[in-house]
Amino acid sequence: MSEFFATPLGLVVLMVLETLAILVPLLLGVAYATYAERKILAAIQLRKGPNVVGWWGLLQAFADAGKMLMKETIIPTGANRVLFLLAPMITFVLAMIAWAVIPVNDGWAVAKINVGILYLFAISSLGVYGIIIAGWASNSKYAFLGAMRSAAQMVSYEVSIGFVMVSVLLCVGSLNLNDIVLAQRHIWFFIPLFPMFVVFFISGLAETNRSPFDLPEGESEIVAGFFVEYSAMAFALFFLGEYANMFLMSAMTSILFLGGWLAPFGIAPFTWLPGPIWFILKILLCMFVFIWVRGTFPRYRYDQLMRLGWKVFLPLSLFWLVLTAGVLMATGWLPGGAA
Amino acid sequence: MIMMIAFYIFAAILLGSAALVVSARNPVHSVLFLILAFFNAAGLFLLAGAEFLAMILVIVYVGAVAVLFLFVVMMLDVNFAQLREGFQRYAPIGATVGLVLFAELAMVLGGWRVAPGITALRAAPMPAGMQNTAALGDLLYTHNILLFQLAGLVLLVAMIGAIVLTHRDRRTSRRQVIARQMARSVAETLELVAAPLGAGVAPGEFRRPKPLEEAAAPHPVAPHQGEGH
Amino acid sequence: MNGSLATPEIVLALCGMGILLFGVLRRGDGGLICSMLTIGALLLAAVLVAGGAFGLAFEGQFLVDPMSVFSKFLILAAAILGVVLSLDYNAREGIGRFEFPVLMLFATLGMMVMVSAGNMMSLYLGIELQSLSIYVLAAFARDDVRSAEAGLKYFVLGALASGLLLYGITLVYGFSGSMDFAAIRQALSDPTRVSEGLIVGVVFVIAGFAFKVAAVPFHMWTPDVYEGAPSPVTAFLGTAPKVAAMVLFLRVMVGPFGHVLMQWQALIEIVSVASMILGALAAIGQSNIKRLMAYSSIGHMGYVLIGLACGNAAGLRGALVYLVVYVFMFLGTFAVILAMRRRGQAVETIADLAGLGRNDPALAMAMAVFMFSMAGIPPLSGFFGKLYVFLAAVQSGLWTLAIIGVLTSVVGAFYYLRIVKVMYFDAAREAFDRRPASLSVVAAATGLFTTFFFIAPAPVLDAAQAAARVLFG
Repeated sequence: MSEFFATPLGLVVLMVLETLAILVPLLLGVAYATYAERKILAAIQLRKGPNVVGWWGLLQAFADAGKMLMKETIIPTGANRVLFLLAPMITFVLAMIAWAVIPVNDGWAVAKINVGILYLFAISSLGVYGIIIAGWASNSKYAFLGAMRSAAQMVSYEVSIGFVMVSVLLCVGSLNLNDIVLAQRHIWFFIPLFPMFVVFFISGLAETNRSPFDLPEGESEIVAGFFVEYSAMAFALFFLGEYANMFLMSAMTSILFLGGWLAPFGIAPFTWLPGPIWFILKILLCMFVFIWVRGTFPRYRYDQLMRLGWKVFLPLSLFWLVLTAGVLMATGWLPGGAA
Repeated sequence: MIMMIAFYIFAAILLGSAALVVSARNPVHSVLFLILAFFNAAGLFLLAGAEFLAMILVIVYVGAVAVLFLFVVMMLDVNFAQLREGFQRYAPIGATVGLVLFAELAMVLGGWRVAPGITALRAAPMPAGMQNTAALGDLLYTHNILLFQLAGLVLLVAMIGAIVLTHRDRRTSRRQVIARQMARSVAETLELVAAPLGAGVAPGEFRRPKPLEEAAAPHPVAPHQGEGH
Repeated sequence: MNGSLATPEIVLALCGMGILLFGVLRRGDGGLICSMLTIGALLLAAVLVAGGAFGLAFEGQFLVDPMSVFSKFLILAAAILGVVLSLDYNAREGIGRFEFPVLMLFATLGMMVMVSAGNMMSLYLGIELQSLSIYVLAAFARDDVRSAEAGLKYFVLGALASGLLLYGITLVYGFSGSMDFAAIRQALSDPTRVSEGLIVGVVFVIAGFAFKVAAVPFHMWTPDVYEGAPSPVTAFLGTAPKVAAMVLFLRVMVGPFGHVLMQWQALIEIVSVASMILGALAAIGQSNIKRLMAYSSIGHMGYVLIGLACGNAAGLRGALVYLVVYVFMFLGTFAVILAMRRRGQAVETIADLAGLGRNDPALAMAMAVFMFSMAGIPPLSGFFGKLYVFLAAVQSGLWTLAIIGVLTSVVGAFYYLRIVKVMYFDAAREAFDRRPASLSVVAAATGLFTTFFFIAPAPVLDAAQAAARVLFG
């Protein structure tokens, strides 16, 4: 068997299998994330939520998917057809390919590249294109407004995300995601870098266009923002992309700050659970907070959003970066460059 | 072998999309082709072993700069037909300049000589035992620290310039003062008044929340006072 | 690595950022305080320059030698006087924002880096830091169409010049294999390594520098920018950046490209002659005094380039002395131009000077001194500037240059003397507003320097001699 996987054909098969092993659970997770969101929001608002399709509404996600598949994709007249259809695909594909570098356990990643964190950052910064292109190609004012908002918002918050990442990287001395997790064996980074953890999580909300930063869709002002003209599968792709992005942000938070697949304490009862389970638990915790925030906070006003990004988070993360570097230099804890 | 095929694919798409950037009729398409060109350039970097540069190219140029390009191009209503008229008119001059530059380049290529150690350099792009990122950091922050800091100052000046030349302080903008928002208590915002059935409440019998700016600086245009909801 | 050699620059940069922060956090009108702080920072930098050692730092990218110290003093002096000139003007024109002195400070920093450059890359970054600050300064009165136009024009043409310079640098790098001045010089000492490509690169570098010093045929931006930019900016723009660019020009031509003197000498001669002739002829028809000064400065740069064309220590010394003399004459003239204000409104035509001899004898006296000096009439400093340059040219056998120089001086004297004539003999106009003390101080200081330079020229001559000797080993 192992000989087969060493042949060129075997390598391809192996790669396909690895990819499927990541994507199938992810898509299932996305399907149930929509269900979980509705259930949790319902609980927060003292309602029941979906409870008709299947036991406790468990098959609701599949019913929705079936409905989306059977509807017609409407392309508005005046829309740029190619770009209009390209946009949801970009969003969805980007949300998927980012998972190539996520390590689920020590050394378990589809692509073990040295600059994994930069890859993630690059992919997440590309997410804006799906939205911007959708907004423009729809040839609709609401959609365009949403796209503009989203472009400004995502570019703004990427800056502080970048600085937060750099301060984590300073503590690790490597851009490899596996090394980043292993560097947290003694202490998870959310303790020493707590303000950065908070900045990262909130910027993550803005980066995924989630409430309270969901101005690009802002249904009370610009209807549904950039995807107002979308229907059926094109809409579903956006929808899936958004939830996959939430999972991705949660995974990034877990890897950067919550010790990835590591158990909270390296002693007996905690080490019984295998690493991937811990990783999934942490992702689910982050997902829960994402939904909890949506159920709790009102939407930001646009100028407040910009103010928070540029006048609060940027100086804070810059200051903390300098502080981290200073402390690491002063105490001699700076990890060696060629790690 | 696979590397060779990948190289030619990346290079071909890069050149093709670069040509489309300048020839596309729709400016938005031009920017999108520019993005495609960036991606393929990043691919070439990857093939050359410069993984850090490849990622930075995508993050900075595709993730930030091109977004702003796209933003501007989408907002502006550029009439390209009009721009092309000028293009036609100046084409001879442009062609002459291009020809002169081409002649010079040809002359330069005539004097081309390969430096002695270049093949060795190409085979080993990085110092031994160093990762790509670390090697780049060493070059930037250790050997060329002066240039790095100077470039930083140039950018600072550019930022000051942009602010000085365009920023105008608008007196009418409503600034959010978070401290004052937080300091507000229920008592000064809200008052429960018993409204007898059929009588209602006469105007002036209850307080209204004051607008935030009013207390701090007098507004040039007096906000409406005592008007109904 | 010996970073302490760059202490003046580092301190200046930190001061600049500090003043910027101070200005931002003060929120109010911090213009005056920030100008004062900037003058303090520049003085501090001058003290540090005086106390510094000589040597190479940052792997040869930064060097301190008598030439760089000489020019840094000159640049700092020009910058300090420039800030002083701006104090009153900015407040009156409503452009007294704190970014103004900060940008001047960063421009000065860029110039100091330029004259200390030991590498093509630090050279380029110095130039960009300086230019970018001045582009913004030129457009600083953003509600004035002329100022905005000046800034934009300067920016677009400056970007083109930067492109030419960079193209030249890449060619030189490609054919010599190094960015470092010393290494390029080393490489070019072997005549077999001098190829056509390298010469093309040198020509592009010359074009880039000629733009920065506003020498013909790269002068087209000068009159419009000088006229449109706010007057204190013009005063600054016409002095410190020219010194920095010219010193860098001298250093690069004589240093790294010293062995290919034969290839570029003729080019410099042509540029020099063209600048002198254009400076003399085009200025005649001008009615706006700032425009006139622009052509005058083009002509002066032509004279300085004679020194470079000589390609020896004497020529270099002449060029450096000329720069010192030029800076003080030019700044003094602008102190007078800034004092030209009627009922709060700045006026800038030559005819407005009419009757100054009776209305304000002291100011007219100062202006007359500067004009005579610019015309090269002994014993004022302008005469000595020209004298050393012409002497060097004659000694190196460049008779043509010397003769054309003398002829254009005679033509130039015509329009300088015309201003004197307008001031003293034309029908008097309404008097100018009371001039502020800052302008009087600058006019007096530069006037005294210009007048009494001949009594003790030795310190300047010796310093220039020492600076010139460095480049010729």
